[in-house]
Amino acid sequence: MNKIWIEKYKKEILGKFENKIDVALENYNELHLFLKNAQDIPEICNYIYGNLGTRLTTVICTDERKLGNGFVIRHVFGKENGEDVFIFVTSKIDESILSYPSIAMAIPAATLHEREIHDMFGIIPIDNPDTRPLVLHDHWDKNIFPLRKDFGLNTKIPRQEREYPFLKVQGEGICEIPVGPVHAGIIEPGHFRFSVMGENIINLETRLFYAHKGIEKLAESMKIDDVLLLSERIAGDESIANSTAFCQSIEKIASVTIPKRAQQIRTIFGELERLYNHMGSLAGISMDVGFPFGSSRLNILKERLMKLNESLSGSRILFGVNRIGGVRCNITDESKKIITESMDFILSDFENIVTLLKSKSSFIDRLKDTGIIPKRAAQDLGLVGVAARCIGIDVDTRRDHPYSSYLLHKKETPHEVMQREISMQKRNGDVLTRFEVRVQEVLESFDIIRASLNLENDSLYVNRPQNLEPFRSALGYTESHRGQTVHWVMTGENNSIFRYKVRTASFFNWPIIEQSVLNDIVPDFPLVNKSLDLSYSGNDL
Amino acid sequence: MKKKSDKEILGNDIETVRDIGNRSISSNYRGSISFNVEPFNGNEESILDSCPTRALSATKDNKRTTIAVDHGKCIMCGYCSQASPEFITIQSKPASPTKIKKQLSEYSNSQIQSEKSFEEIGNVLREKIKKMFGRSLAIREVDAGSCNGCEIEITALNNPIYDIERFGIHFVASPRHADVLLVTGPASKNMEIALLRTYEATPSPKIVIAVGACACSGGIFGDTYATTGGIDKAIPVDVYIPGCPPRPEVLIQGLLLAVDRMITNGK
Repeated sequence: MNKIWIEKYKKEILGKFENKIDVALENYNELHLFLKNAQDIPEICNYIYGNLGTRLTTVICTDERKLGNGFVIRHVFGKENGEDVFIFVTSKIDESILSYPSIAMAIPAATLHEREIHDMFGIIPIDNPDTRPLVLHDHWDKNIFPLRKDFGLNTKIPRQEREYPFLKVQGEGICEIPVGPVHAGIIEPGHFRFSVMGENIINLETRLFYAHKGIEKLAESMKIDDVLLLSERIAGDESIANSTAFCQSIEKIASVTIPKRAQQIRTIFGELERLYNHMGSLAGISMDVGFPFGSSRLNILKERLMKLNESLSGSRILFGVNRIGGVRCNITDESKKIITESMDFILSDFENIVTLLKSKSSFIDRLKDTGIIPKRAAQDLGLVGVAARCIGIDVDTRRDHPYSSYLLHKKETPHEVMQREISMQKRNGDVLTRFEVRVQEVLESFDIIRASLNLENDSLYVNRPQNLEPFRSALGYTESHRGQTVHWVMTGENNSIFRYKVRTASFFNWPIIEQSVLNDIVPDFPLVNKSLDLSYSGNDL
Repeated sequence: MKKKSDKEILGNDIETVRDIGNRSISSNYRGSISFNVEPFNGNEESILDSCPTRALSATKDNKRTTIAVDHGKCIMCGYCSQASPEFITIQSKPASPTKIKKQLSEYSNSQIQSEKSFEEIGNVLREKIKKMFGRSLAIREVDAGSCNGCEIEITALNNPIYDIERFGIHFVASPRHADVLLVTGPASKNMEIALLRTYEATPSPKIVIAVGACACSGGIFGDTYATTGGIDKAIPVDVYIPGCPPRPEVLIQGLLLAVDRMITNGK
C-alpha cells in the first residue's frame, strides 16, 4: 500500500530537485533523499513541509566520521493523513565546517531539535535565533559534546559556574516567580519562570532537562536486549509505547515479522497503558480544581487497572511485556476472563464518575476557557497526541501509520469520517476539551481491547537472527497516551547500537505550555500543566 | 437523565483495603529473584553476563560458588531466570528495604525474613510516629532524575486504597516542613545542586530514603557522564528501598525503618 505513496512523492520531489539530490532510497515506508550539498536543506525541507503537507517528525544527527561521512543530519517528515510515508532528507556535514543552515524560521518545530544537536554534537545551526544551551545546563563545559563518538560514556566533567540567560520581563509592577526544579507535589523535576503582573501571567519560560540521564549515549554501549529494558525506562508510564517503538525498529532492521498474536497482545497492553494513565490525568485535573472526591474515585480505578496490569504482566507499570520479535507475556483464556470482568466494573464506575463531574458547574467553570492552545502555534510547533486533537488537529499514529494490530480498528464509514471531522472543528483547545478528549479515548480504548481479545492461535514470538547487519537503520513509532513516539535505531558492528534517537511526544508538546497559559492566572498553571500531562523524563532522556 | 441515589453516586462502600498485605500481591508479580539449588553447579559466567545492571556476583571458596544478588541494583527484568531457569526463579515476594547498603545483597544460601501486611506495618508505624513526634510524619519527595515509575508508586500511597495519611504520614510541599526526604532517580548531574540544596533546607533531625534501584545504585542508568550513580554519592542516605519500582507495600516498610532509625538516633 505505502509503495504507491512512496513512488508518488519520490517522483514529485525528484522532478523538482533532480540536480540537488544524489540518490533516493526506500526502506519500508521510509523514503530517503540524500542531498548533494547541505546548503540545500532549507529549500528542500520547506518544499516537503509546505507543499507536500507533511509534519516534522524528528531531526536526527549521527557522528559517522569513522565511516568517512562526517556528521550526518536527517530531517524526517511524516504524512499524517492516512498516507503511510516518512520522508528523510539526509545531508552530510563536513568535520571542518560543523554548521548547516537552520530551518527553524520556516519550521518552528525544528528549533528545539537544532538546539539539542548544538548541545550534543557541537554543530551550529546557522540563522537559528536561539542557540542557548538546552540539554546540558549552564554548569557543563562548553566544549563537551556527549553524543560524539570520541566522548567516553563515563567521562566525569568538572562543574563550572555560569548563569542561564532567562528572558527578562521588566516594567512597573512586574514580578518574577521561579518554581522548581523541586516541586510542591509528587512530580518530576523542571523549572518554570513566571513573569507576572498581579496574578496574570505575562510570560512563562520553561527550563527542563533536569532528568537528563544520557539514555541515547548509554544505549550505544549496551547489548540490544538490554537497550529494550532501557527503552522501557525512558518514561515509566510510557513503557509499552517506548519499548514497542524500539522493538519495531530492530524488527524492521532484522526483517522479522512478528506473529499476529504478539501484535494483538501489544495492542492490548498499549491500550491498558493508555487507560491507567488517562485515569491518572483525569484524576489530576479533578484534584487541581480542588475537587478531591472526583480524583479519589478516579484514582481507585487507576489502582484497579494497575492491579490488572500486575496480574497480567507481573509489573504494575507494564515493564517486561515486550521482547524483540514478539512479546514475553501471554494472555491466556483465564486472563481474558479477568480482563473482561475488571473492564466491565471499571467502565460502569467510570461512566458514573464522568456524569457526576460534568454535572458540577463549579468543576466545569474552572475547566472551560482555561489554558487555551492557540491553533496557529499548535500547527507551527507540530503538536501531537491529545494536545493536538484538543484543538482539532486530527493526528493519531495508530491510524496514520498503523502498527501492531491497529490496522484492524481503523475502518470508518464515510458518515463516521464526516462526524469526526465536524467534532474536530468544534474543539477549541481549552482544558475542558482535553478532559473530554481523554474521556472519549478511554471509552475507545475499552472497545479496542475488547475487539483485540479475540486472539489468534499462534506463537508469542519469533527468534530474531543472531547477527544484525551493521549500519542499517529503521524507524519505529507508536502512539503513547501523550502522542506520537518515534524511535530511530542504527545498528553498529558486532550487534551493537550505533545511534539510538528517541523523540517522545513530550519533546514536541512542552513548548506549547508557554503559549497556553498566557491568558491565565498563576493558580491555573497546575491545572493546565496536568491537563497536558507531559513527561519530564521522556523529554529529558 | 435517571436520578441516581446517593449510594450509587458515592460508590462502593469502603475502598480502603483493610488487609492489603502480601496476600494481595498477584502470584505473577516479579518481586525479587530467588535461588533454587545449593550449591550452585552451573556456568556462572552466563548467569552473571545475563544481568544488564551487574546485580549478580559470584564468590568462590573451597570449590563452592555462591551467587549473590544485590537487590539495590536488580531491576527485575528476569533475564537471569531466562538464562538459567533451574537455578534462578522469580518470586512474587518483593525484596525488603534496609538501613545498610550491604544488606541489600542476598546470598544464595540465606533465608527470607517474615512478612507483615500493609495494614499491620502501618499500625506499628502510627504508634511509633505518635510516640516519637506527637504529630504526623512529614515527607518531602524529590525526583532526582527518575523515569517517573517510582513517582507513580509514591502517588499511589495517597490514593484511597493505600491511604497512607491514616497512619499519620503526610506529604508536604516544602523541605522546610519535612522530616523525611524520599529521593528517587540516579541523581542526574543537572539535579545534583537542587538535591543538595533541598537536603540543606531540611531541618535536622532528617532522614533520607533512597527509593528504587536507580536511587540505590544508579540502576540501569548506571554511573555515566550525566548521572552520579546513586543518591548516596550526592547526599547521605539512611534507608535503601530496592525495586524497579518498589510497590506501596515495600515503600511503607521503608518508612517504618526510617522512623526506627530516627528513634535510635534521637536517643
